[in-house]
Amino acid sequence: METLGYLIDGFGVALAPHNLMFALLGAFLGTLIGALPGLGPANGVAILIPLAFSLGLAPETALIMLTSVYAGAMYGGRISSILLNIPGDEPAMMTCLDGYPMAQQGKAAEALAISAVASFIGSLVATIGLILLAPLLAKFALTFGPAEYFALFLLAFATLGGITGKNPMKTVVAACIGLMIATVGIDNTGVQRYTFGVLELYEGVDFIIAIVGLFAISELLFFIEERAGGGKAKMTVNKLSLKWADIRNILPSSLRGGVLGFIAGVLPGAGASLGSFIGYTLEKKVVGKKGYFGAGDPRGVAGPEAGNNGASSGALVPMLTLGVPGSGTTAVLLALLISLNITPGPLMFTQNADIVWGVIAALLIGNFLLLLLNIPLVGIFVKLLSVPPMFLLPVVTMIAFVGIYSISNTTFDLYFMVAFGVAGYIFRKLEIPLVPIILGLLLGPEMEKNLRHAMDISDGDWTILWNSGLAIGLWVFAGLGLILPYVVGPLLRRRMKVTTGTGGPEGD
Amino acid sequence: MNDRIFGILLIALAVAYGWGATQLPAPFGGSEAVGPETFPLLLSVVLVLSSLYLIVRPDPDNAWPWSRTGIELVIAVVVLVLYAALLQPLGFILSTTLAVGTLCWRMGSAPVRAYLTGGVSGVVVFLLFNFALDLALPLGVLSFLEVG
Repeated sequence: METLGYLIDGFGVALAPHNLMFALLGAFLGTLIGALPGLGPANGVAILIPLAFSLGLAPETALIMLTSVYAGAMYGGRISSILLNIPGDEPAMMTCLDGYPMAQQGKAAEALAISAVASFIGSLVATIGLILLAPLLAKFALTFGPAEYFALFLLAFATLGGITGKNPMKTVVAACIGLMIATVGIDNTGVQRYTFGVLELYEGVDFIIAIVGLFAISELLFFIEERAGGGKAKMTVNKLSLKWADIRNILPSSLRGGVLGFIAGVLPGAGASLGSFIGYTLEKKVVGKKGYFGAGDPRGVAGPEAGNNGASSGALVPMLTLGVPGSGTTAVLLALLISLNITPGPLMFTQNADIVWGVIAALLIGNFLLLLLNIPLVGIFVKLLSVPPMFLLPVVTMIAFVGIYSISNTTFDLYFMVAFGVAGYIFRKLEIPLVPIILGLLLGPEMEKNLRHAMDISDGDWTILWNSGLAIGLWVFAGLGLILPYVVGPLLRRRMKVTTGTGGPEGD
Repeated sequence: MNDRIFGILLIALAVAYGWGATQLPAPFGGSEAVGPETFPLLLSVVLVLSSLYLIVRPDPDNAWPWSRTGIELVIAVVVLVLYAALLQPLGFILSTTLAVGTLCWRMGSAPVRAYLTGGVSGVVVFLLFNFALDLALPLGVLSFLEVG
């Protein structure tokens, strides 16, 4: 019942008027970002972090706004899936299967409303799961020593590519690159490493600059290469005629999807893409021949939508309790925490209880806000969706510039950001995943610190790293995380390809 | 082929990085079990091994945009670098008009609309930042417009 007390305090934080306002703003911006093709939740949060910083928001306010952006982006992804058959991000892919046929049958408004309700239920289920599971996991994590933490970080890297990921060795390469960048600067013992005497590098590479460069700038370059073209077909949304029976019809699908999604989100390496995929496949199995999946069955919209929103809340569990994010977007949120001087992990639940529970409460409130925003305002989002990307992407890039510039007021950071953008473009071309690079940058200092502590305890005996049952377990799972993609990956990818008719998802 | 070349570059990087680690001065107060060089050395070993794998078993290549698209990409990067360089001397509004306008134009918009978009977004963001959010963006050559 301790939890309930904390949660009530959390509501106190989240319901403060200015926090509520930023939650609303975040939910709105997030939905917009999610709806625009090419800008996923990770991108959206990455671009808005510098802004949150330069505004000098209080930690909980910044965090509340950005979790709302995150939740909103997961909601928004479905709009272009349903109306244009173009998923805004990968988890939204499964929504195309039945959402677009519904729209073609003149039931776009119903599809959008159903997906909003399902997203809401999925998030709600997962947030309740988060409330129940996170404190337990945090308590368990308190038994971790430095050696266990070191192994945990390895596990995080090993599973980050996800079981659907393509080449796990590239995840290792990416993690190494990130960790190497993290060693730049003055280390714990006061020695300068790889600074080459450049003053700006003494404090290391700012990961916010790296994140914005890798995500936002490389997205612009990618768009130029692919040139998706300007004008899009005009979309119209019919008048909504949703009956209570329709909602009852999708309720079981949404609940199932939410639970599955939550599990997929908590498990390392799975994430929202898998959440929506299994949400859809389960629905097809459960409903069986009675359904008309692929031809506009509302349950085919509800299942994956609940799944991907459940997964996005589930992914917050390892991020908040262990300091180990399970997806790209949660990695970006982790960056925010670290730069606010909050060390995520089990101690956060005691040391920064107000922040953790404020954020969890804000997630609940955010979902209500999103439901309220989404049903009446969907017309506005649809209108904004028709802004051609050739105008949109340059403006978004400019906002990234402004955000970074207003943190430090120097142009050095901007050159750095562009360099990261070019590197990000090359990496993406080579299919080197970007998220492990970010994670390496974020976790590098902690990882080295834990290695150092472990060795101090053991007096330089390396075997301490695999001396406890827990540590061995983590090493084994990390090993599995690297081997499984070779075995299971191709199989799973083929199945997703068969279901969606496109390439397999690669995390979110 | 891409992966092979990249792998070779990475090995070179790992070796240089590892060599750099051995050159680090011993920390004040004598050496410890884990010095400043230990972690970087571990990383360079792991990177060499994983890059070797890329060289031995490369993935199929993605095509690089050589022809015109490549030039467009170079133009975009040049625009971004110039934007960073001109932000302070030229001021936010003018440099944004130029940068956003050029990007929109190169991405296929008609020039007038492109620079109009750049100008409008520059002015709007400038006003928003300087007045609503209280964050000063440089005015540059337009600084004579400054009030008070």
